[in-house]
Amino acid sequence: MKIKISRRKGIDVLGSGSLSDLAFLLIVFFIVIAMFNINKGFILGLPQKNSAKILNVKDILRINLNEKGEVFLKENVVPIEEVEREIKDILTINPNLTVLLKIHPDVNYQKVVSVVEAVRKLNVENFSFSMLREGEKFR
Amino acid sequence: MKIHKKTRIAPFIPINSMSDIAFLLLIFIMLISLINYKKVIKIDYPEAEYKETTQADKNFEIRIDYDGVIYYKGYIIDTTTLEEKIVDAITKDPKTRIHIIADKNTKYKNVNGVIEILKLLQHRAVSLVVKGN
Repeated sequence: MKIKISRRKGIDVLGSGSLSDLAFLLIVFFIVIAMFNINKGFILGLPQKNSAKILNVKDILRINLNEKGEVFLKENVVPIEEVEREIKDILTINPNLTVLLKIHPDVNYQKVVSVVEAVRKLNVENFSFSMLREGEKFR
Repeated sequence: MKIHKKTRIAPFIPINSMSDIAFLLLIFIMLISLINYKKVIKIDYPEAEYKETTQADKNFEIRIDYDGVIYYKGYIIDTTTLEEKIVDAITKDPKTRIHIIADKNTKYKNVNGVIEILKLLQHRAVSLVVKGN
């Protein structure tokens, strides 16, 4: 004769069946929120007060950005797409290059970002940027 | 005679899915508030193919729209108050990273105003934020 042993079943008072769904949704939520908040761009070092550096004139590369967004490199207009290549060429000849970017106050911010991108891409260590002051002319 | 004893079942409301509903509601409200926050300040991010992740543990985001209006935490702010806020943030945590999120079509002089404040405060680094992905 078979004896049936009745096992006492535990009662799921809290109803934990949906807990795994909940945990998964929580993960998705945090991933989505984290993606919203990530800033990408360029970190630029700002000059310190009284931190004058002595530079060799030969190592300085002046890049001027006028109000139309034209890039002047050694007094020649260079298309913004070719700035990177031009700097790269100069950098191979002179690895100690210091890039000085002079920006016209009325130029679109996008143009500035494009030039900064080119410089950052090439890992130019010495890079400085400043806005053209009133009455000041491009050199 | 066998008398069947009726076992009375206590009435209950199934609340298994209540937590799911509550959580989805929470997500919905949070996402909507986030979308609204971004809509208030219309900024066309500058674009760049090459970019680095500039996010830090503590971040201080300054937004500049097309007209050069400066925003902090969604509110318009003047340069003097901005200076005070930056000082406060840096005093609390010197590692706070300052992000400039400016409209790509704004004039550079609007961005330079903020950079000048940071230079004045002797802040060492600034993050110029571009469009991600």
